[in-house]
Amino acid sequence: MRSIVYYVREFLRPEWLKKFFFVKTAPLVTPPYFKGYPTLTGKDCTGCFTCMMICPAPDAIAVLRRKEQWEPEVYPGHCIRCGLCVEACPEGVLASGRVTDLARRDATAFWHSFHLEVDESLCMRCGNCCVSCPINRQIDPQLAGTGTSTSDEVIMRVSSGRVRILHEEKCTGCKTCETQCPSGAIRVARMVEGVQFLDGVES
Amino acid sequence: MNVKDAVCPFCGCLCDDIEVEIEGDRLVGVTNACELGATKFLGGERLKSPIRREGKAWKEISYDEAIRYAADMLLDAERPLLYGWSGTHGEAQCVGVHMAELVRGVIDNTSSVCHGPSVLAIQEVGHPGCTLGVVKNRADLLIYWGSNPIDAHPRHLSRYTCYAEGFFLENAFRDRKVVVVDVRKTQTANIADEFVRVRPGGDYAILSALRTIVRGKTDTIPRMVAGVTRDQLIRVADLCLNAKFGAVYFGLGLTMIPGKYKNIRNAIELVTELNRHTKFTISAMRGHYNVYGSNEVNTWMTGYPFAIDFSRGIAFYNPGETTAVDVLARKECDAALIVGSDPAAHFPRRCIEHLAEIPVVQLDPYPNATTAFCKVQIPVAVTGVDAEGTAYRMDGVPIRTRKVLSSDYLSDEEVLSRMYALMQEALKR
Ligand code: SF4
Ligand code: SF4
Ligand code: SF4
Ligand code: SF4
Repeated sequence: MRSIVYYVREFLRPEWLKKFFFVKTAPLVTPPYFKGYPTLTGKDCTGCFTCMMICPAPDAIAVLRRKEQWEPEVYPGHCIRCGLCVEACPEGVLASGRVTDLARRDATAFWHSFHLEVDESLCMRCGNCCVSCPINRQIDPQLAGTGTSTSDEVIMRVSSGRVRILHEEKCTGCKTCETQCPSGAIRVARMVEGVQFLDGVES
Repeated sequence: MNVKDAVCPFCGCLCDDIEVEIEGDRLVGVTNACELGATKFLGGERLKSPIRREGKAWKEISYDEAIRYAADMLLDAERPLLYGWSGTHGEAQCVGVHMAELVRGVIDNTSSVCHGPSVLAIQEVGHPGCTLGVVKNRADLLIYWGSNPIDAHPRHLSRYTCYAEGFFLENAFRDRKVVVVDVRKTQTANIADEFVRVRPGGDYAILSALRTIVRGKTDTIPRMVAGVTRDQLIRVADLCLNAKFGAVYFGLGLTMIPGKYKNIRNAIELVTELNRHTKFTISAMRGHYNVYGSNEVNTWMTGYPFAIDFSRGIAFYNPGETTAVDVLARKECDAALIVGSDPAAHFPRRCIEHLAEIPVVQLDPYPNATTAFCKVQIPVAVTGVDAEGTAYRMDGVPIRTRKVLSSDYLSDEEVLSRMYALMQEALKR
């Protein structure tokens, strides 16, 4: 009872009432450092899939074929607006807030390498990974077209009863294989380092 | 030596792009096949020659003796059962039907324990289906209902439905949506855009609810239907309505649950309903590589797809009465010829008990659970490996399997033709 009386008294103070009804807060503006969903700058995408590689959120970005042109597509429901894809893209295709300006000012970049591993006890050799891999699809059109692997130049293919990794060095780390694997059998280990160039020399 | 474009004789996908590596008379490597296909190609320990049970032991006998035994067994029987047929080629299935007619037996295939209900539903309301090629080139929505292709048809998605390029799609799998409806989270559900988890036995209600929404009567749907929220049902219905071309693939999770063929009927009617708005098809995920072929062969020869009884001198079809499971459970048949299947591993206990009491002859390359109930087992060549023959893919496309190895084993067709010839001769006398 005492506390209720206390509250009523507290809220009936003229000063509080005045502040409650007439207070002025600064109008809401989007600050310049705000990172929205990445947008397209209009520069040409080369389809290197670096943006997909760096993206930490599953299924948030995909680089798609539009007529004769590659184009990254951001899926807002999945994107966490971290801006990493914007910074990683070597072609400046994506923009969000001041990400690219800062990277240019500080001369920072990402360096990366990849390692693929298949857990054979989980793998069903369904081929989803091999057929969905965008690099495989470019190298072996037959694989992309019909799911039939015909070339040893691809990153990996189902052969001799397992998924054989043939050209790890061609992997761009886009993780498509990982997200399309139903069994969680294939893993892409991404080694990404942030580097800074000082007077043209990498530190 | 490498053989290209071999056909995988394991599941209903019948992948015809397999490359096999042969060293001498052995198959040493398989490329492009999934786990199941590769295992089938590489094979296990086969029986060396036909065997006959002598007391508690097995005795090796010649093909002639074994075939003679089987022919006599069928001729002596009052009501022989000829069962299996899904794991053999069409030519052998033809001989099987002729034999059944000759001895006035019952011929049935494994669809009586898998997609028999689907066949019944299709007989009632038709089959808005299409080939896998159409789905590959056009479908932008795939619904797997009560089936887990990653487990049973591993390359179904990568080769036929989702991942391979489609002629009318720009970005293959990224332009397609996958919906999985199941009672548990399967591997396929892991890559689905929408996973609908149904309470066991609730599929019929879900199908009806979707039909209701498609009909525009959404407000009559309760908040939850068989463990699925109304919101999710509306989402799925919207996906269906907004698709340019949808394809439903259903498996045993829809046919072999309470409601059986009524579920399939409801699913087909949902698809028919959706076809008023957009293009939609529905097909069964047929398991064995040639179970579809067995239905085809039976149909073109007798008019019925399975469970055909010749005891009246004409083909008589009454699933539930003339299906193998029922004939066995009623202890009616007095001899059984099993070809290309393993009933002892799948049939109810009562049926197996009867199998143990009657003479049984099995044609199979490998010893299996049914071997324990056989009087005689005749090893045959494996279709697609050391025998060739026609098989029907799950979408009804006939594909000629190839012989990639030579061996001394006779094919199913050769064994059955010799058996049939002996029977014809005996009846002429
Ligand atoms: S990183 Fe840039 S150039 Fe590379 S695929 Fe992504 S958007 Fe295109
Ligand atoms: S997608 Fe996964 S299960 Fe399928 S072949 Fe690749 S690693 Fe194996
Ligand atoms: S192997 Fe996997 S991570 Fe590497 S490019 Fe292909 S899909 Fe992307
Ligand atoms: S999906 Fe079926 S037909 Fe294709 S390789 Fe695998 S088991 Fe054989």
